[in-house]
Amino acid sequence: MNIQTKHFKIIVPMAILVIASLGFVRPEERSPVLNDSSDINTTNNSKEAEKPMPIYGNWKNYDSKNGLPGDKAYCVKIDGERILVGTHEGLAVLENGKWKTYTTDDGLAHNGVLAIDVDQATGDVWLGTMGGLSRWSTGKFENFNQMNSGMPNDLIYAVTCDEKFVWVATGGGAGSYNTYTRKWEIFTEENAPMHEPWTYGVCASKDKIFIAAWGGGVIEYTKKTKKFRDYVDPDGNMEIDLFPDDGVVHDITTGTSWANDILWVATYFGLSRYDGVHWKGYFDHDSGLASNFINFIKAKDDYAFICTDQGLSCTDGNNWVTYTTNEKTNKGKTIILNGTNKKELGESTSLAHNFILGVDIVGNDIWVATAEGVSHGQLKH
Amino acid sequence: MIKRSDCVIKTICLALFLVCNFMNGQEDKTMYGNTTEELFPYHKFQKAYKYHFIEPVQFYGAGRDKQAPKDLTEVRIGFLGPLEGSPIVSLGKQMLNGSILAIEQANENGGYNNLPFKLMVHNDVGLWGAAANEVVEMDEEKVWAWLGSIDDIVSHVALRATLKMEIMMVNTGDPDPTFTETNIPWVIRVIGDDRQSGYALASYIFDVMNHERVAVIRSNERYGRVGIMEYSGFAVRKGHPMMIEERFNLDETDFTMQLENIKRVSPDAILIWGNAKESALILKQIRSMGMTQPVYASDRSVSEEFLEIAGDAAEGLVSTCPYNPEADNPKLKKFQKAYADRFGIKPDVFAAHAFDGMNLIIEAIKKEGLNRVLIRDVLSDLETFQGYEGVTGKIIFDGSWNDIGKIWMAKVKQGKFEYSPVPVLKATSDGKAME
Repeated sequence: MNIQTKHFKIIVPMAILVIASLGFVRPEERSPVLNDSSDINTTNNSKEAEKPMPIYGNWKNYDSKNGLPGDKAYCVKIDGERILVGTHEGLAVLENGKWKTYTTDDGLAHNGVLAIDVDQATGDVWLGTMGGLSRWSTGKFENFNQMNSGMPNDLIYAVTCDEKFVWVATGGGAGSYNTYTRKWEIFTEENAPMHEPWTYGVCASKDKIFIAAWGGGVIEYTKKTKKFRDYVDPDGNMEIDLFPDDGVVHDITTGTSWANDILWVATYFGLSRYDGVHWKGYFDHDSGLASNFINFIKAKDDYAFICTDQGLSCTDGNNWVTYTTNEKTNKGKTIILNGTNKKELGESTSLAHNFILGVDIVGNDIWVATAEGVSHGQLKH
Repeated sequence: MIKRSDCVIKTICLALFLVCNFMNGQEDKTMYGNTTEELFPYHKFQKAYKYHFIEPVQFYGAGRDKQAPKDLTEVRIGFLGPLEGSPIVSLGKQMLNGSILAIEQANENGGYNNLPFKLMVHNDVGLWGAAANEVVEMDEEKVWAWLGSIDDIVSHVALRATLKMEIMMVNTGDPDPTFTETNIPWVIRVIGDDRQSGYALASYIFDVMNHERVAVIRSNERYGRVGIMEYSGFAVRKGHPMMIEERFNLDETDFTMQLENIKRVSPDAILIWGNAKESALILKQIRSMGMTQPVYASDRSVSEEFLEIAGDAAEGLVSTCPYNPEADNPKLKKFQKAYADRFGIKPDVFAAHAFDGMNLIIEAIKKEGLNRVLIRDVLSDLETFQGYEGVTGKIIFDGSWNDIGKIWMAKVKQGKFEYSPVPVLKATSDGKAME
């Protein structure tokens, strides 16, 4: 009897310690088991989408052979009935079924167009180029650069229109242009919580601006109070993510996008989602994310569309759809991950290329900018 | 009886705790940046959820089948460096000289298919963001790859731009560890960084010299702030955090206030992290204030400028150097002679590494032809140029394309730097590094 008690005393702490240890940090056990199966039936799926994820297809591609001035498309924007595409060789516009290209010969600041946004109030198109910011209004280009305005740098990575302001993200800081007063306000390490003024993404919510600061995580600017705060990876180290959901997955951020009270943050190390209270991290090994290397992100309603170097992923935070292409056969593949169940759908059409640089979605249409052209898809279901 | 069973349980629990710790420990493959397990962040407490830089990021973009123009009359390679308006112009000019020498020698050997190489030279100015505009200009000039820069601010800004332009960047002068921690597959660094330098200095200071109370004085800009980080992390993990960390501004000449503060804490040793000029002035003031502690310094002090300004005070200073300029290496000797003949001065560390970096670009172009993506591919494949024997020694890249080849200790003896191998970072059972 005494012996049994002694064993009991030993076994219980042993068991507790072993269980605690195993449950502590085992990355492989944190990862959902992805059942690579064509079986459509799902089982025991507690996180399956309440409404099905949108699936796009019927891709039609455009490149230098059928409309674009060059193959590489940096960005794309749906502007009512027309499509605006930023390429290395100019701004391409699809209107009434025909493409037209605008270059420096037409007044554009630079032929390399990296970012596009449209002021919904005025209809002005704002173009972030490799050589300044262009406003395209009533058929004319007005250009802003470091020499003729207070803009922080001529190479513009992101543009966002927010009421009367136009925000730009550059390697020399973030800039906010007041279209009423025609004045710039610049945000750098001097007046915002950044170590350095390297900014590569900017987006707006109802009351805030979110700046992706290279090495500085996300800088949040409250419009009403004009106050800043930052969100960084709490472990403070570049070479690791210590805990998965403790903050932005990495301080090297490349883009931000906000919709439906959710902030999505792109990095070259994975994806982050912030609901105002909790952060959630996603990597290619523990989710349906096509790749950790994210070039651009666009949030739309309940979904984030993530432009990676290995395909376009879409998620609601739990469920995933990823679009890839076999670049040799030009056949597409749609990979659907609902909760823990994975299935693949073959597509006769595909994206122009897996290296995705930009995306825009309006209604049933999706346009995707890739390294070898721009793709137009339609909502299938 | 009760005491004995308690003792048994405690022993088993302790054993289990150690086993559990082991189970949650670092994986073997986390030797990124020559970092030993004991130096890895949080290693003793927590296994990370995700480790970066273990496998190199591949470039999955397009462009490998793009043909070169047929009407070329020259093969352009870009250069970005501090050539005017910067406190490190002397370093930039040496870097430019090293690049020019490599280009001239390649052209003497027929260039690329009898087309001459041409260097497209850009000044990096050093102001925020300016480097991005220079990279755009290089894209317009249609360079096939480019070399630069030294200032870490410049290099970071240029790196993001070069990713957009898709032009391979070979860096031979920026020691900022975070520079290659960006996961951008369009850069290789051909020089040891401040991680290597910080580890070597810390290992020397704590394990060889057995100092425990070390004061730090560093430049109050990014080079000082980021440069000291790896040393600082090592020191903390060794149980010897900095006693005091004082800062100085560029071009400051009177460091009395900072040194009085340091004197007050009676350190065993002092570490200076800054450019050659300020480091030399600080060292002189340390000695003039009667402080006799051993002094250590970052690798920018390994220069003629430092020795000239510091004078006799330099004696005994210990630093690191990314290569050994006294090495018995025929390639190095040949380079040093050619450089002195061409420019009338001795090459410094930036000249030698630029010579190696530019030769890598030239060889990559000769191997793969005029295609930016293929040039990137071959420079970053971790095979073709892995172990490349340059004038600076053997170049070894880790998974983030950071040069983790040998660096050297440099000690001033009789007015000259003498070079010796750095202590080997090897964990022992008591957690200390071995020489």
